[in-house]
Amino acid sequence: MKALIFNATSWIFIACIGVAIIRLILGPRGADRLTALAVISSLILALLVLYGTQEGRLLYLDVALLYDVFGFLGILGIARFFREKERDDRRF
Amino acid sequence: MGNLLDIISLILAVLASIFAIAGTLSLFRFPDCYTRLQASSLASSTAPFTIFLLSLVNAADVASAFRILLLMLFFLVSSPTSTHIISRYAWFSGITPWTKPGKLL
Repeated sequence: MKALIFNATSWIFIACIGVAIIRLILGPRGADRLTALAVISSLILALLVLYGTQEGRLLYLDVALLYDVFGFLGILGIARFFREKERDDRRF
Repeated sequence: MGNLLDIISLILAVLASIFAIAGTLSLFRFPDCYTRLQASSLASSTAPFTIFLLSLVNAADVASAFRILLLMLFFLVSSPTSTHIISRYAWFSGITPWTKPGKLL
């Protein structure tokens, strides 16, 4: 019963990640891509915690904590880095 | 006791799946990046939080439970902050918010 619940939830999450990648590819501006990236990052975080609890391994929880920190820093870095590029089309 | 744990896990898993599917669909249903950001950030911060609760209920020992608690604490800080960063980035890169056609801002 418990293995069935965990497996079904993780497959639903993997399907959601696959659908969100479409928005990541075809988002018209950078902000849409960052939105899709934030969704994908939090879904992968949930997937890591789910898998770590299912297998009973502590290593996946440590990796999930690091993944949370680095996903946040990645979004911060991308937003800082690409703003200089998009400042040009603010004029018109 | 085991039966009750199964029922709680099933309810939390169904809630997390609903939140995840809603957050993913909201990326395609809304017209603007601000509205998309609002809906998807709401759903994508509740879906992992429900999964954390599910893992906390099913935690094997005290060490993993404390790790999940630490993760919840950090996630409560980092998820709204990254949403704020994205919306600030969208505002400063010159995207005007979507309004109803025929209605001025």
